[in-house]
Amino acid sequence: MDNSIVKLRGYKDGLHLIVNPKISLSEIELAIQELFAKMNQPLTGTSIQIDMRPPVLNPEDFKHLETHLTETYNLVVNGVNIFEESGESPILAAPATHSIATDLSQGQNIDLDNAQVVRQTIRSGQTTRCLSGSVIIYGDVNPGGEVISAGDIVVLGALRGTAHAGANGGLTSVIVAMELVPLQLQIGSYVNRPPVGQKPRGYPEIARVGAEDIIIVEEFIKF
Amino acid sequence: MGKVIVITSGKGGVGKTTSTANIGTALAMIGKTVAIIDADVGLRNLDVVMGLESRVVFTSMDVIDKRCELEKALVKDRRVEDLMLLAASQRNRKDDIKPEQMKDICERLKEDYEYVLVDSPAGIEQGFHNATAGADEAIIITTPDVSAIRDADRIIGLLQNQGIDFINLILNRLSPTLVRKGNMISKNDVLDILNIDLLGIVPEDTGVIASTNRGVPLVHNDGSPGADAYMRIARRITGQNIPIPEMREDSFFSQIVNWFSRKN
Repeated sequence: MDNSIVKLRGYKDGLHLIVNPKISLSEIELAIQELFAKMNQPLTGTSIQIDMRPPVLNPEDFKHLETHLTETYNLVVNGVNIFEESGESPILAAPATHSIATDLSQGQNIDLDNAQVVRQTIRSGQTTRCLSGSVIIYGDVNPGGEVISAGDIVVLGALRGTAHAGANGGLTSVIVAMELVPLQLQIGSYVNRPPVGQKPRGYPEIARVGAEDIIIVEEFIKF
Repeated sequence: MGKVIVITSGKGGVGKTTSTANIGTALAMIGKTVAIIDADVGLRNLDVVMGLESRVVFTSMDVIDKRCELEKALVKDRRVEDLMLLAASQRNRKDDIKPEQMKDICERLKEDYEYVLVDSPAGIEQGFHNATAGADEAIIITTPDVSAIRDADRIIGLLQNQGIDFINLILNRLSPTLVRKGNMISKNDVLDILNIDLLGIVPEDTGVIASTNRGVPLVHNDGSPGADAYMRIARRITGQNIPIPEMREDSFFSQIVNWFSRKN
């Protein structure tokens, strides 16, 4: 990683402004000014996400930065990614505003009101932890990857790794994936794994704690 | 200004060194200037695979310790013009070199060479960090085994954390016959998990063993399936749009049946 104060990068899901939060706010804003001055086209109206590594900006400074970006440069800030100290995987702190998430939760007992969104594939060795609520993952969870959530887990892709919902002990939490072929599932204090040689079924599935205190998996109807 | 491409895999024995030697040679054969760095300090063998073992006088360690100039440490290939090797020290250990020092060597080499290839050691420790320190892009080598794919997946995550986003995949040692019989993971299954762009497929080619032992990279052996695959990969690296040929995954018998049914 180089040591520039701010960087602008394009990813599959749009532009990310990578901010080094160890620098003072005024220096960050100056660097942003220089960065945008170098660009040929104004970014007016573009939506961006802000990426930071700990220690993160304090909420006041962050609010200030967000307002600064919105008002001075007419940018739309639509997400904040905070990377874990280990640099292993991002945890998104922005609330889910996407309609797809709302669609998902209708008619199902899934708590996505304060869900955190992770816009990347969780690869082997990476862990995404959210101990304040549910997690939505726009991507896959590969074998060796791990998602831990105090609430529910929704994977809008294939869940091939390990998922632990209800990590604070909530037995009503559920795990939903478009393709559910996990190595192992945990809900609250219960653990289960699919039978050896389980193939993807080709439809979304939901895992919950069933009547006999075991994790059961069934077709996820409402979508 | 050239670019630095690290060739890595996580797992050992999947063909990093063989691929580095062949891609480097192939790039030089199509007229590019290439420098290859062996980053496997303490377990070097890129020089052996390229048949340059007896010509290595200085290593990257000598350059770092200022015992010799970088230009002087580069070994010229015996067969192809504009192909240079910077060998690794066999006496030292991977933690004797720091990432910044490797990065500095990469930065200096890419001023003079169009392509700087770095042959990474297996693993995710210091050697990996050194190999990737100066890289602009990465090529991941994997074989169609669950263990190699798992390690490749881990490596992709680590590279992305380092800010290396241009990552391509080479699927090595694919055997169409075994895929057909259901005994090998298919190309599509590998891409489904790793979710990165495919740079090429190298079929299983027994010629690799002989070429390694003779110290003559496979690409010199015109017409072998592996050589052709590496030549195509090199051309794709230079930006040429060369399609990846579909491997025939149907049997010889069914090919004949298809051939007859087409006639009718």
